[in-house]
Amino acid sequence: MTKKGFLISAVALLFATGLLLSHGPGGFAQSSPPKTIKVGGAVSLTGKYAAGGVDVADGYRIAVKHINDAGGIMVKEYGEKIPLELLLYDDESDPSKTVTRLEKLYSVDNVPVYLGEFASDMNIAGLGIAEKNKVPWIGVTMAVENAFNQGFRYTFAPCMFSFMEVGSMFDALDTISKDKRPIKIANFELQVDWGKECTKYVNKLAAERGYKVVLEQKYAPDTKDFSSLILAAKAAGADVLFSVPTPPQSMAIIKQMKELDYAPKATCFIRGPDLSNYWQVMGKDANYILTCGEWTPDMPYPGNKKLVDDYKAQHPGKLIGMQVGTAYGAVQILADSITRAGKLDREAIRNAIAATDLKTVRGRVTFDKRGIGNVPWSLCQWQNGKLEVVRNPDFKTTPVLLAPPWGQR
Amino acid sequence: MAIESKWYALTGAALAVAVLLPLGMHGQYGLSILCMLFLYITLSQSWNILGGYAGQVNVGQAAFFGVGALTTRLLWLHGTPFPLAIPAGGIASVVLAVVVGFPALRLRGHYFAIGTLAVAWIAHITVGNLFPGISFLTGRHVATYSLVLRYYVFLVIMVAALTTIYLTVNSRIGLGVEATRDDEDAAQTVGVNIVKYKIIAFAISSFFVGLAGGGFAFFNASYYWYLPFGLMWCFEPILIVFIGGVGTFVGPIVGSLCYVALKEIFAFTLGEINILIFGVVFILTILFFPRGIVGLPAALHHAWPRRLHGEVGERANVR
Repeated sequence: MTKKGFLISAVALLFATGLLLSHGPGGFAQSSPPKTIKVGGAVSLTGKYAAGGVDVADGYRIAVKHINDAGGIMVKEYGEKIPLELLLYDDESDPSKTVTRLEKLYSVDNVPVYLGEFASDMNIAGLGIAEKNKVPWIGVTMAVENAFNQGFRYTFAPCMFSFMEVGSMFDALDTISKDKRPIKIANFELQVDWGKECTKYVNKLAAERGYKVVLEQKYAPDTKDFSSLILAAKAAGADVLFSVPTPPQSMAIIKQMKELDYAPKATCFIRGPDLSNYWQVMGKDANYILTCGEWTPDMPYPGNKKLVDDYKAQHPGKLIGMQVGTAYGAVQILADSITRAGKLDREAIRNAIAATDLKTVRGRVTFDKRGIGNVPWSLCQWQNGKLEVVRNPDFKTTPVLLAPPWGQR
Repeated sequence: MAIESKWYALTGAALAVAVLLPLGMHGQYGLSILCMLFLYITLSQSWNILGGYAGQVNVGQAAFFGVGALTTRLLWLHGTPFPLAIPAGGIASVVLAVVVGFPALRLRGHYFAIGTLAVAWIAHITVGNLFPGISFLTGRHVATYSLVLRYYVFLVIMVAALTTIYLTVNSRIGLGVEATRDDEDAAQTVGVNIVKYKIIAFAISSFFVGLAGGGFAFFNASYYWYLPFGLMWCFEPILIVFIGGVGTFVGPIVGSLCYVALKEIFAFTLGEINILIFGVVFILTILFFPRGIVGLPAALHHAWPRRLHGEVGERANVR
């Protein structure tokens, strides 16, 4: 290609790109009701976070279907129910694409609310865009409390944050009779902000509730060999192990614990064992592991059975992931907030979200001033192939089982 | 009008369009895509001067991008005016290039590539450990955020990078750099200081990659500190250069246009399958058009006219 030829094509492409991308915002101030209320988010439908992203998308889709089956959302301004239109753009597990997709939802699709992503990298990118554009954002899988200490007004996360996750572990341990209760804790701290926050709360709550942190060891997000940490925990006599590993790390640690014959009475990995296929991958080695219990298909909250039945009908044979329920709950909050706002104005919807008090499929949700959800503190444990809820304030739960030595399992 | 004058006129027109474009655009989306386009043109052209012209395949560009982003963001959020913070990011990246460059550029071929990849990986882990948290803009920064300003920052960085690299590769230095790529031993034999030219190419490349990192730090409202050190910033520019045409000036520009603009259009029109289509297009490009899209007309010219001439010749003989 000659330089001249290239430049002509460059100018033409630049114009074409500009024309393609420069749709102006439609504006909400309409006299007649819109055919649909567009809501949406950037979700990892492909790439390294796709497994979780697809669960989030499934939860959104079923919730929107249920709302639209009932006629849509009542918007007082128009005096009628308007169906939701869900716009989910694949960010390919790339935070840079999360930014551009959210800008499209803001300026081209004119959504009044953003829905959150699955993985932290993308959620963090989304928080900033939501605040910049003054578009309310409802998250699905946030756990880092620090992200909500920035004074942001438009971001809300009805999720279990680090202090709730750690707190629920201690609540579960407290249910064990004193003579059998393990109290010596080893904390393997993942070197990310979430891991550091959890360490802060492990130390604080252990001191307050009569436990003792006998070991604190740090590891990087890419660590694969945990043998030195495991041997140190074994030497320290720790009978509780806490960590927030990545899913592959959670599997590696358990395998290496078995090889090194280290069997604490309680192992709590907030992340990793919460995956629906964890038992399929780990088999009975997953038994007795405590993990995050934000949502399970068995929770007796209103609407949960319908969600699970519809999911199973739509995805026969597929295991239902935790994010299906949390995503469904986010759409319930969105719909309730639009109804209470009575109009499709972002600021009004933002204020309605802040005032949320709703019973969702994951329990009752309200928000504190930072946008952190007050949700039921819940913890699960793998017991013979099933993720049983062992701690939840709203219903009777299964007792926590203490892990026997590896040779007796 | 001479060809060169026409070329300058067209360059000026393209620049004028780019400068005036925000005035005619209502949405944030178009601007954010163009910001990404300018960022990728800068990154790929910066990789090209070292990898394409000097023949030193740097697989660790994320380290230089990340250092630029980290330096700029830290200075800017701590009160340094952005026009000062962003060159500091470029300079910090050059400092890293010099520190890494002297030992690394003694390596050749695959060893240099592996060495730079190791640098990127070390930087990623180190920053992840030192800065495990999130970088948020302050409320003041969020309140005054302007995407149009970011657009012009990326545009200025891109124009500066393209101009510098164009002038460099068309100068005596460019000859030295290309001689280094073509045959290091032969170049040394005729007195070319290959280490000097490698360092020059590395420094120019790193400076603009560092500036691009600064643009990234200015553009994003919130991200994990380690994000600009991610390996995607190593591989995407290389992918773009190979799609466009390695070792050519226009290749990275055409490659970036395809990668950003077409990929965006495909993503919304073709859905998730766009990644598969893009992957297939990339493999076909590498297999059948190793000189990239820029080399496509020449490749077609070689393939088709020969048949065409043959046919014409046969017909002529019939007559």
